[in-house]
Amino acid sequence: MRQYIYKRLWQGAIAIVGALFIVFIAQRLSGDPVALLLPMDATEEDFAAMRVELGLDRPFVVQFGLFFSDAVRGDFGDSYLWNQPAMSLLLDRLPATLELALAGLVFAILLAVPLGVLSAAYRGGWIDNTAKLFAMLGQAMPGFWVGLLLIVVIAVKLQWLPAYGRGTLAHLILPAIALGWYPVAAMTRTLRSSMLDILESDYIRMERAVGIPERLIIWRYALRNAAVPLVTMIGVYFANMLGGAFVIEVVFAWPGVGRTVVEAVFARDFPVVQAGVVLASVVFVVVNLIVDLSYGFIDPRIRHD
Amino acid sequence: MRNNGCFILLGTLALIFVASSLAEGDGGHITVAFGAEPTQVDPTRTSAGVDGYFIGLFYEQLLGTTPELERVNWLAEAWQVTQQGAKTIISVSIRRGVKFHNGDELTAHDFRYAYQRQSDPASRQAGRLRYVDDVEVLDDYHFNMILSQPDASLISLNLDLFAIPRKYYQAVGDDGVQAHPIGTGPWKFVSRKPREELVVERFDDYWNQDLKPKAKRLTIKIIPEDTTRVAAFKTGAVDWIDAVPPAQLEEFKSTPGVVVASRPAPNNLYIAMIAIDPTNPLANVKVRLAIAHAVDFDAIIEYILYGQGIRTAQLAPGTIGYEASLKPYPYDPDKARQLLAAAGYKRGINVPCYNLTTPREPYIKEMGEAMFAYLGVVGIRCRIVQLEYGAWINLVRVNARPVMDGIVSTMWGHGLPGDPTDAWSGHVHTSGDGWGTYSYHSDPELDDMIKQLRTTMDLKRQEELIRAVARVKHERVAGGIPTYRPLITFAWSDRIEFKPWPGAFWRAMREIGLRE
Repeated sequence: MRQYIYKRLWQGAIAIVGALFIVFIAQRLSGDPVALLLPMDATEEDFAAMRVELGLDRPFVVQFGLFFSDAVRGDFGDSYLWNQPAMSLLLDRLPATLELALAGLVFAILLAVPLGVLSAAYRGGWIDNTAKLFAMLGQAMPGFWVGLLLIVVIAVKLQWLPAYGRGTLAHLILPAIALGWYPVAAMTRTLRSSMLDILESDYIRMERAVGIPERLIIWRYALRNAAVPLVTMIGVYFANMLGGAFVIEVVFAWPGVGRTVVEAVFARDFPVVQAGVVLASVVFVVVNLIVDLSYGFIDPRIRHD
Repeated sequence: MRNNGCFILLGTLALIFVASSLAEGDGGHITVAFGAEPTQVDPTRTSAGVDGYFIGLFYEQLLGTTPELERVNWLAEAWQVTQQGAKTIISVSIRRGVKFHNGDELTAHDFRYAYQRQSDPASRQAGRLRYVDDVEVLDDYHFNMILSQPDASLISLNLDLFAIPRKYYQAVGDDGVQAHPIGTGPWKFVSRKPREELVVERFDDYWNQDLKPKAKRLTIKIIPEDTTRVAAFKTGAVDWIDAVPPAQLEEFKSTPGVVVASRPAPNNLYIAMIAIDPTNPLANVKVRLAIAHAVDFDAIIEYILYGQGIRTAQLAPGTIGYEASLKPYPYDPDKARQLLAAAGYKRGINVPCYNLTTPREPYIKEMGEAMFAYLGVVGIRCRIVQLEYGAWINLVRVNARPVMDGIVSTMWGHGLPGDPTDAWSGHVHTSGDGWGTYSYHSDPELDDMIKQLRTTMDLKRQEELIRAVARVKHERVAGGIPTYRPLITFAWSDRIEFKPWPGAFWRAMREIGLRE
């Protein structure tokens, strides 16, 4: 098991370096940050001086080498825009993103599990049809649109919850629903299909034959086995929510990592983008590793030797 | 009896609470929402126009602009320009008794320190002080700015230097300034949560007691998404918003209890055309004139911008040197076709059209697309290339590669009330000698005129020169076709009193308070 974890971490480290290298190249191909940092009346001399100050006058390979040697020591440089260490800029915003992602995930699981299980258990019935409709709507409506609808209806018309910002539990509800909306649909469909397979398997028939109550069969025996693909999805969606909640963060003025990184992309703020890629890659690798390891606890037949 | 006693007690407590709230409020606590957030709170380290939003709260300059867009002395009590041999000297006397938020008194030494920081390449604005050789302190209240040559743009930049507390800066360093900015402005820093809010408090020892804000405290929320900012206003979560979406302007105007005001933005928009390559059809003045007549800008402003733009011939009304007799090129597609034919392009031309897409000005992408569609009608067939701001600002520089060898939708800030000197030095003057960084045009006569304009510090003469350049520019369709100056709209609840001030793009928040 330990060897498996080491191997996965090693693979993860290679993936992170690879992602970083690609981003490093892509950013530099996308344009020079100096033009964005200087006023329009800046002279060519101002441009040259700024490039020297930022180290952008050096050959690409030297830039990457310097960046990499600093990065392994945890130094990702200072943001061009904010004049602060890039990684600390993101880590300051990480709690907000974690809070939103966890809330979105909890919302998605709380809704998707009962919907997926019940629609499989009552296949063809009204619950199943409702769940299917819900899943279709969830996948058809992008998160930002759901967010805007929630703001207009819940915040403006009904005035039940605040329209924006972070602070209380009330502030968290609308962005969490908007963020969890799409995963609800995907998880419901996956769980339903997985449950349908399990409910028709031999061991479930055997349990029914020996008179175990249907409620127990569904919620204890079938759900546990059907949950393996769901756990994979939860891991992937959680990692996506951490790195990709940008749109929801903008819509609800949520001060998170995603919004900061995407704004840095547009501003060619290389250090922040690079730190963001490392942060997102580490989160992705760690979450996927945890998901893989959790399979063994859900299904004892799966072991990582 | 016992119940009555409880009511009296509760009533007394309520009265005490209300009274203490009023006393504590002293003008009240107002919450506003900005659509964009500055990254800097140090005026000597600004990197984008939006940085002015916060800097205008805390810091001031030697000159200032009134809501009527009149330039007046601000921290300078008096100033004059003299020529001493080859050197130009701006002699400045500053106001006495002006206090920083930490209680230090403003002196001439603070301006010398500001000059040292602003002329440092790390400031990102050193180019603006390129002709200032030094700042010489004569005594605590007098100093000279020594220039290697006259530079008119310094005047439109309010003599450029910011009042920053030298001792405080030296004591706390850059990080300390970012954590707690201190200036002479009407608002004192209280706290900041980046991406969320800035809280400021009225500076009671502000030197200009007539312009001390009425509100005691101001919280500025950052809400970039238009719908969310509007929702926050409609739900009463904020009392004031900026950048009201043009599409919702009529709704705002007709909502009871809402006050709306539109003001000209500092940006001027125009179409740039590559005219320095003689093989390019755009080098022919007839083709450029055809483009000018081919687009119905009035219709675009009315239907795409919901009227939120001021049509310009060369400059917007109110700008220094505005020439009222200069009229925009009229929309005349037949004339455009004739001009194209006269230029030898009877069958029209194919040309790359680079469209700027940015949220910095509303509907700028749609504006560009409409312009290019109009061009197609007269035979100027565009291959549209959409560029986000970061890509555009890189490619639009004249020395950038690949060359934008066609028509480019462009913008350049003229400031408020507006002075084109700096912009024309950048996009009309031939590239070279530190000027013309974004210029696709070369005209020796215009170069001479712009150089003369740039080095004239007599304000009357400067206005005459601006008019003269505008006329030549208009006649030769040189340095692009001006299109419009956008309008910015603010909305606020009628429970507050607010008057827009031009600093920080009309967001200076000087005259704001709860209505009595």
